[in-house]
Amino acid sequence: MRARITKSPIDPEAALRSVRDSSAGGTVMFLGTIRNRNEGRQVRGLEYEVYKEMAEKRMAEIEKQVRARWPVRKMLMVHRYGNLRVGEISVAVVVSSEHRAEAFEACRYAIDTIKRSTPIWKKEKLTGGEESWTKGEPIEG
Amino acid sequence: VNVKVLYFALARDLTSTRSEAINVPEGTSVRELVRSLGALHPALGKLKDSVKCSVNLSIVTPETTLTDGDEVGVLPPVAGG
Repeated sequence: MRARITKSPIDPEAALRSVRDSSAGGTVMFLGTIRNRNEGRQVRGLEYEVYKEMAEKRMAEIEKQVRARWPVRKMLMVHRYGNLRVGEISVAVVVSSEHRAEAFEACRYAIDTIKRSTPIWKKEKLTGGEESWTKGEPIEG
Repeated sequence: VNVKVLYFALARDLTSTRSEAINVPEGTSVRELVRSLGALHPALGKLKDSVKCSVNLSIVTPETTLTDGDEVGVLPPVAGG
């Protein structure tokens, strides 16, 4: 199982290397990055909070669901926590498979499901010094 | 029945508590626990019905009965990614 929650920066090249497989004809990588605006407000950075043990368990379950639906060769999911600045990578999902179609579909499913069903929260830090928790959606079981 | 309650994000801010040990009668459900947590920390009322609970790392329904040693997570709406 390659599901991880980490405080360290995400290295996209290392993430790509980790799903390398000689039987894979396609690799899809999704990177989530901190953007400088949200709902019209100027964002300086985000602070991520995570229920680590549960998030890792959820990500392992998501990998299991992905593997049951698509013939994925290798897959990596990493999510950061702590303080992140604009431009930094908060999440990476990388999938390799024999053909591209299943890599695209599996990657899309994994990132969408991570967003809906892992216990992760973010606090917006605005340029004016204001801070507030991003609204979010009730977690799905 | 002793349970450990963990508060996250806005729930942690509203209660000024990261975790606490709570003693509840035998047969107490998650719904009943949430009600008593609301009495203990009135500010939690702000979260209304948007909060969900986990027991031992799995999302549970409010009807779930608590057992001794359970770890209960109080989870406000999530926003990963």
